[in-house]
Amino acid sequence: MSNKLHDQGEHFIVSPNAEPFLERMIFNNRFVILIGFVIITAFLVYNAVQIKPDASFERLIPLEHPYIQNMMENRDDLENLGNSIRIAVAVKDEKSSIFTESYMETLKQLTDEVFYLPGVDRSGVKSIWTPNVRWVEVTEEGFQGGTVIPDGYVGDKNSLDKLRQNILRSGEVGRLVADNFRSAIILAPLLEINPETNEPLDYAAFSRELEEKIRDKYHALNPDISIHVIGFAKKIGDLIEGIQAIALFALVTVTLTLVLLYGYSRCWSGTLTPILASLVAVFWQLGILRLLGFGLDPYSVLVPFLVFAIGISHGVQIVNAMAIESARGFDAKTSSRLAFRSLYIPGMIALLSDGLGFLTLLFIKIDVIKDLAVAASIGVGVIIITNLVLHPIILSYVGISKSGIRHVQKGGEAANKKWRFMSNFSHPHVAPISVLIAIIGTGLGIYYKQDLKVGDLDRGAPELRPDSRYNLDNDFIIENYSTSSDILVVMVKTATEQCSSYPVMRAMDQLQWELENTAGVESTASLVTVSKIVTKALNEGNFKWMEISRNQQIVNSSIQRAPSGLINTDCSLTPLLAFLEDHKAETLQRVVDKVEAFVKENPSDDFQFLLGAGNAGVDAATNQVISKAKDLMLVFVYSVVSLLVFITFRSIRAVCCIVIPLGLTSILCEALMAQLDIGIKVETLPVIALGVGIGVDYGIYIYTKFEHYLIEGKPLQEAYYETLRSTGKAVMFTGITLAIGVVTWIFSPIKFQANMGLLLFFMFLWNMIGALWLLPALARFLLSPEKMVAKARAAEAA
Amino acid sequence: MLKLKSLKRWLLPLAACCLWPTQAAWSVGDVLTTPSMPTELAPTTLLIDVVEVGERLVAVGQRGHIIYSDDKGKSWSQANVPVSTLLTAVYFPDEKHGWAVGHGGLVLHSSDAGETWVKQLDGNLANEMVIAQAQERLANLELELENAEPDMQEDLEYAVEDAQFALEDAEIDAEVGPSKPLLDVWFMDKNTGFVIGAYGFFFRTTDGGKTWENWGGYVDNTERFHLNAIEEITGGMLFIVGEAGYVFRSVDYGESWETMESPYDGSLFGVSGNGNVNEVFVYGLRGNIFYSEDSGEGWSSVDVDAGETLMAAAIGKDGKMVVIGNSGVMLLSQDFGENFRVKVRDDRLALLGAKYLSDQRLLLVGESGVSILSGLQY
Repeated sequence: MSNKLHDQGEHFIVSPNAEPFLERMIFNNRFVILIGFVIITAFLVYNAVQIKPDASFERLIPLEHPYIQNMMENRDDLENLGNSIRIAVAVKDEKSSIFTESYMETLKQLTDEVFYLPGVDRSGVKSIWTPNVRWVEVTEEGFQGGTVIPDGYVGDKNSLDKLRQNILRSGEVGRLVADNFRSAIILAPLLEINPETNEPLDYAAFSRELEEKIRDKYHALNPDISIHVIGFAKKIGDLIEGIQAIALFALVTVTLTLVLLYGYSRCWSGTLTPILASLVAVFWQLGILRLLGFGLDPYSVLVPFLVFAIGISHGVQIVNAMAIESARGFDAKTSSRLAFRSLYIPGMIALLSDGLGFLTLLFIKIDVIKDLAVAASIGVGVIIITNLVLHPIILSYVGISKSGIRHVQKGGEAANKKWRFMSNFSHPHVAPISVLIAIIGTGLGIYYKQDLKVGDLDRGAPELRPDSRYNLDNDFIIENYSTSSDILVVMVKTATEQCSSYPVMRAMDQLQWELENTAGVESTASLVTVSKIVTKALNEGNFKWMEISRNQQIVNSSIQRAPSGLINTDCSLTPLLAFLEDHKAETLQRVVDKVEAFVKENPSDDFQFLLGAGNAGVDAATNQVISKAKDLMLVFVYSVVSLLVFITFRSIRAVCCIVIPLGLTSILCEALMAQLDIGIKVETLPVIALGVGIGVDYGIYIYTKFEHYLIEGKPLQEAYYETLRSTGKAVMFTGITLAIGVVTWIFSPIKFQANMGLLLFFMFLWNMIGALWLLPALARFLLSPEKMVAKARAAEAA
Repeated sequence: MLKLKSLKRWLLPLAACCLWPTQAAWSVGDVLTTPSMPTELAPTTLLIDVVEVGERLVAVGQRGHIIYSDDKGKSWSQANVPVSTLLTAVYFPDEKHGWAVGHGGLVLHSSDAGETWVKQLDGNLANEMVIAQAQERLANLELELENAEPDMQEDLEYAVEDAQFALEDAEIDAEVGPSKPLLDVWFMDKNTGFVIGAYGFFFRTTDGGKTWENWGGYVDNTERFHLNAIEEITGGMLFIVGEAGYVFRSVDYGESWETMESPYDGSLFGVSGNGNVNEVFVYGLRGNIFYSEDSGEGWSSVDVDAGETLMAAAIGKDGKMVVIGNSGVMLLSQDFGENFRVKVRDDRLALLGAKYLSDQRLLLVGESGVSILSGLQY
């Protein structure tokens, strides 16, 4: 402790004199401060526990994107299109069909049950058992028809044969009845707002009712059937349910950390204090979020984990430094002061870079990502207070136990060998090899990340796993019915009462045909489709009439009974639906490009073709926003981090040593995403920013110590050896602990949590490796110890 | 007639350049002037009629699609077609010259066995023609009435009144625009032929389609029922069938037409022979099919439970024939239609046109485009 520079701290934020003041202020008033923390924590815990889940659809989508603005403007008129659920009731036995008495009885009961579910728009419920499903036939006298269930149905063979015939004539095969006659659908539109209570539909509750009253109950009642349910409400319900599993992950993470920390420190106070401080940070963060009026959405629910992880990472540094000082024979309070003195500058710089790195996510104009940025930045800001102030104060009371100190002293010999070996990373012969490996790694990374895609790549609901029950149900329905789960809606706007005029219909027909000729489009539908089919039907079913009539009266009568979703009340808006094969970014972009080109080539003053509603429209808009923001965000994250590192160390070389390993991690992470078919999307984009933010911590801690020993006059490898012995140990431990903490997310039922877990796992681990392995190799090339000593002497002299 | 011809002379070029008056609302071209878009989907989407032209097959369908195959339906090429509306029928009297008809009163002509097509007539022109003829007829009748003997006056007054109504109807039609589809076409040779269609549309040409005359007056169809199909049967007689069971017959290649007694009062959509002289089938709504052995003098109902509307037929070798229709229904016979077996295809998609290939496989067109059946069980 004879070195004056060390005692002063090499770097300062305000002025060299202010620092001891800060330290004096904290440690001389530690009791008052501790009481203050208890009061604030109590208040914030009270708030944190009241935080509400907030899974609103609007926060998940880029509201500023023109597609979304068009969709929002016309939302009321589009409502009938979207929010419904489909319940497919299938016969399990492959040899059987739906034409059995028991199946029909179950389907009938199920239809009634669905009818009475709260939230269901009863007038719109459809199944072969509802009276609004009819068959129609042209006869010499005109039309003849009836309900699909024949009059006097008794369930015998005669009735069932008649039923089969009626179904064939009804045109519902592929819609309400599967092509293979082994399942039938109950379609139930939902009311967004309950007209009796004026309350919005509770998706979680509705989804639970579906499970209890429909799936579980009828599986038990009739073991020969299987029930498959899809629809937006069901998906959100499953998501909310999946998010609740997060509590389990929290428990696993904390327990794992506890075990690892104890193994590392062999000291209960060294184990429990970082966890306590980090948990306090989590509660502060949640409490502040609630006070600011935020809720927890499926994305920001992950932020507490991050906060906990980052808190632990800094806590371990404190415990580590404290144990080393205690081992030298200082008492608890002095050790704590010394640990604080040596760590609070790099700690603060690291946390500031984290926070500012997270704030760059604000560039992405999607509310959930902005929320994530705010939540994560608040969390990191809170850690500065809890882990850099509260944690040393607590430690100054409890100290490191004897066993912990012994562990540091005893563990020396064996560990020193390991550190000695690792210090070779800075050896003049090893460093060039490392740099070469890094260059090759960068090359490979750049090569493999070429396949990196924007958007989601799997079938079904992208939020859930491909093998989740929802997505399996979705696969079942897509395979057996003429339907697609990826729908792009083009909104056709006209003057009042003009939506079915011939010129509009003609233009829609042309666009539909051009879309059908576009790869990735399975089929299209609109008022035009209805008009053609009905015109044919009104002409005795003669296909020679399957065309839009130029006679407006014929058009008008053909669309009289069009489904309500296809025409708004004053006939000024009609949707054109394109059913897509998938929701890959290229597919979506190809289709929206086609629509935009069509609009450009065919301008009109009388009607507008507006993109784009439907899940595919939203996905296309989201992809566009994300691919535009991605590079901008990376530039900003790296600029902010580099600038902060430069301000701290006043050296471009330091910036290179710290930031280059991060860059390698980013490139390798993108290559990994490309190879694992994880696209860049709402949930994975933040990981890139978070990864850089967290990774820079390691580099800053390592470099601070490294520089310190170099200035003391040690040769490069020796200085690095000392760095490893002190901070390196903590960095390595932290990297592994955090990685293990997030890797449990891989088991989340929600796909985006699993993806985030996987990517964060990689980032935590690889950033640690980069800091311990590549940083010293770069230092061998970039740093000149003599000059650094001379520069430090000059500064001291001045 | 002189007056009419001069009218046509200036109407034709007018029709070619600016057929549909430009409206501000039109951003996408009129289907009657917009060429059919090249597409790979043409052989797999709605096709309505198919014919054999020498070794070649030519099929027509939705969106101005005309496709032809020179390898018995294995591969298809899309013809150049100047319109993109639904085409309803095609006919080739020889191996080069053919005509196709469609919506908007459309007539297309090809003189290279179906590879390229030009427009010869459309609804705008047809409407003008009908008006001109109605005006001429009215003028003639009025002139006659002025010079008529008193005892003839009453009849002539009625006739004038009828002519006035006809003119008004035609004028109303013209206001609506080219909205009426032509539904079938038949040509005797490369010069003379007929097109028929909705609301009694009926035109004749004797100059290969350069000019057309309204032939509607030669059939007794004052209620203007749809005329659905026109066909020549073995023996040289021509038949037209239409809405409400109408059956017309011509024994002089269409110069004059007589109304036959009908076996049915529902719509008839098709008429075909079976290969034997003067034997003829008519068929239509709900699987109704009738047979006459004496060129339509008397009819007997064919006892077969088809259930679905029948649209077209094809005649094969050795008494084989098939009648097809909506919902995938096929009536198969190997004894000139004395007995039929009903087959319903699993996809239940409409079948609208059929042709036996030389190896007795059956080529079908319909709702889902082309399909070829072999090994048929009769």
